[in-house]
Amino acid sequence: MSATPTSTSARLAEPWHAGMRGFLKGELDTWLFVLRTTVAFFLTGWLAMRLQLPQPGTAMMTTVIVMHRQSGMVLAKAFYRVLGTFAGAAGALLIVALFPQQREPFLLLMALWIAGCTAGATLHRNFKSYAFVLAGYTAAIIALPVISTHPVQIFDSAAARISEVLLGLLVTAVISDTLFPVRLRDTLRAAVNNQYENFLGFMRGALLGEVPRERMEQAHLRVVRDAVALEDLRSSVIFEDGEARARSAHLQRFNQRFMAASTTFQSLHHLINRLLRQPDPAAGLALQDLYQPLGAALQSSEQSPAQLADQIHAVRRSLATRSVRLRDALSAAAHIEDFDVGAQLLRRFVKELESYVHARRQLTLQIAPTEDDARAHFTRGNDYLGAAVAFTRTAITMLLLGALWAASGWAMAVNVMLLATIFSGLFATMPNAARITGKVAWGYLLGVIAAYVCDYMVLTRMEGFTLLVAGLLPFFAVGPYMVSRPRLSVFGLGYTMGLVNILAITSVHAFDPVRFFNEGTSQMIAMGAAVLSFALMPPLVGTAWLRRRQMAGLRAQVGLAAQAPLHGLEHRFESINSDLLHQIVTHTAAGSEESREQLAWALAVNETGRALIHLRQDVAREPGSTQLHLCVDSVVQALADFFAVPDAKAWQRADAALTEAIELARMQAVAGGVAARVLLHLRLVRLAMVDDSSVMATYIAPTKQILETTRRAH
Amino acid sequence: MPIEIAFAGTLFPGLLLLFVLVCVALWALDTLAGRRGWYRNVWHPALFRTAIFICLFGGFGLLLF
Repeated sequence: MSATPTSTSARLAEPWHAGMRGFLKGELDTWLFVLRTTVAFFLTGWLAMRLQLPQPGTAMMTTVIVMHRQSGMVLAKAFYRVLGTFAGAAGALLIVALFPQQREPFLLLMALWIAGCTAGATLHRNFKSYAFVLAGYTAAIIALPVISTHPVQIFDSAAARISEVLLGLLVTAVISDTLFPVRLRDTLRAAVNNQYENFLGFMRGALLGEVPRERMEQAHLRVVRDAVALEDLRSSVIFEDGEARARSAHLQRFNQRFMAASTTFQSLHHLINRLLRQPDPAAGLALQDLYQPLGAALQSSEQSPAQLADQIHAVRRSLATRSVRLRDALSAAAHIEDFDVGAQLLRRFVKELESYVHARRQLTLQIAPTEDDARAHFTRGNDYLGAAVAFTRTAITMLLLGALWAASGWAMAVNVMLLATIFSGLFATMPNAARITGKVAWGYLLGVIAAYVCDYMVLTRMEGFTLLVAGLLPFFAVGPYMVSRPRLSVFGLGYTMGLVNILAITSVHAFDPVRFFNEGTSQMIAMGAAVLSFALMPPLVGTAWLRRRQMAGLRAQVGLAAQAPLHGLEHRFESINSDLLHQIVTHTAAGSEESREQLAWALAVNETGRALIHLRQDVAREPGSTQLHLCVDSVVQALADFFAVPDAKAWQRADAALTEAIELARMQAVAGGVAARVLLHLRLVRLAMVDDSSVMATYIAPTKQILETTRRAH
Repeated sequence: MPIEIAFAGTLFPGLLLLFVLVCVALWALDTLAGRRGWYRNVWHPALFRTAIFICLFGGFGLLLF
């Protein structure tokens, strides 16, 4: 009898324990982060005072700004912060040297400099964008305090600022890299593994049976997310780990092959579905039969990339004989042509899949192989209009605040201008900037209040550095703790910045309530000004208008595929597409009608664009007859036009051009040569264009015509 | 190597130049070690890297004084 309750309680106790362990693990990570931040913060303060830097507070503020849980992030941010600080100092020196005495042109030039840097920030991602922001406001920090009183001191101001920032960065970098570091490398490794497993798992499912279009679109979305995330991680991890740096080119190649294989797979899958939907699905069935061995090779899940690569290689070699056999079984000429299109696509896919698995295998090797292909750069898609809006907003905010300063003569107006610059720069690249800045402002207010309590109730009784640490610690440690909680992180950042900024710790601490209130008021006004400027001129990021614009940009990518120089075009095209789509979908509600349409367009763009690139490559390698060349040119042009401004008329023009080119290629293909390959590419594009279950459905005019065109396609 | 270096009319400490040079050297060493997989034999690569830096910087710093 006694056994029953014990076993029940043991069963109950297990999940409780597991939960507890997870909780403690999370708490431990958080507190280690708090420890690292705190140690770096006070160590920087102590060193800055020992070295007699004019403002130890700035150095301490730096440690707060770069704090991050993972050491790779800290190192990357620190690296770009160094660049930004130097550029900003150079800018400040230049501007002050040009207008040391005249305040108005100085302010104008300063506003333009800061606005230019903010605009530059919107054109870059991650920490590169941060370097631009920093170059902008560092110039303000260096030049503004000295310009009104003694411009001659600008050089000292710059030197002091640089030393303080560098000291803060150095200490933070060393501490976060050596004291219980959380490695970004582990995150990267997990990301690579996940990407690989997910992709193989998805293909295992997809090669076995039919997958609904919706799931294919979702899968494409995941591919895009994975690819962009891996690129983001890679660009930070290279600062943390020499080994990861040695493999950087490799990771890029791995990512490139990942995108290539998944795009081809999407094309192939949709093509086969289209063929299966036809009245006589013989070609589709033959193709399904053709890829059967590949599905079988992927089924045995627990195998190393090396074994899998071997198996895929074997499949690839047997592909040619199998396809001849299946082709002979088909009777109608149209079916044979469709089959050839599919077989060619399948060959490409198997080849890409093999090199993807091969790249995965190379990542697991003990020593990074030194084979050096051309580097596969991940190109980002940018919007210059967004940058222009950021430029205008920052310039106007700065000019208004500058005018306020000049008109009011309020000494603290410099402070307002400084802080408003910092915040309108820091958050200009975020969606909902007004809301985030508002949150930071509330945190900042709490930080100022905490600083008041700390300063006038605790620190007045303290003497010496040790007691300063003891007195400040309870107020400070709350900050990083909040930062590590996702929901509080923005608020916590504001809190810590407010606390540290207004305390402005120096070696000889001055207790001056009047200064405290003056500074506190001016800083809160600055926060208000930043929030207001974001509310009145919101950043374009995430607005429906920008999304539509980016969609148009994504479609215009077909134009890029049609016209840009061919060298490295395939990867450039794909990475820009991924980056653009990623920017677009981040701000769309998942699963909504809008998101579905975006994905469908993205797939169509990818499919058509890639086919165009392959078509152009073939024609460039082995020129066909002049007549064919002209036809291909007109097809490429008509497709680019259709994707630039899609409507029914443009669709018909593109369709007519395609039909004509296909007829011509078919006639010339009898003689063999490049015309045969051109014919296959054209057929692929044409089949995608007349697919009435894709995004093209809206443009395909009346039903009667569809039937007629599909018939004509054969 | 001089203790202070004059550049465009301002004096820079020689240690600063040395610091930059050692940073570059460390970056190169780090890349080499990463490529050859030497860090696999080290318990705490980041600490090791920092220690190497301090040894190099301290050692070359002695040349100045």
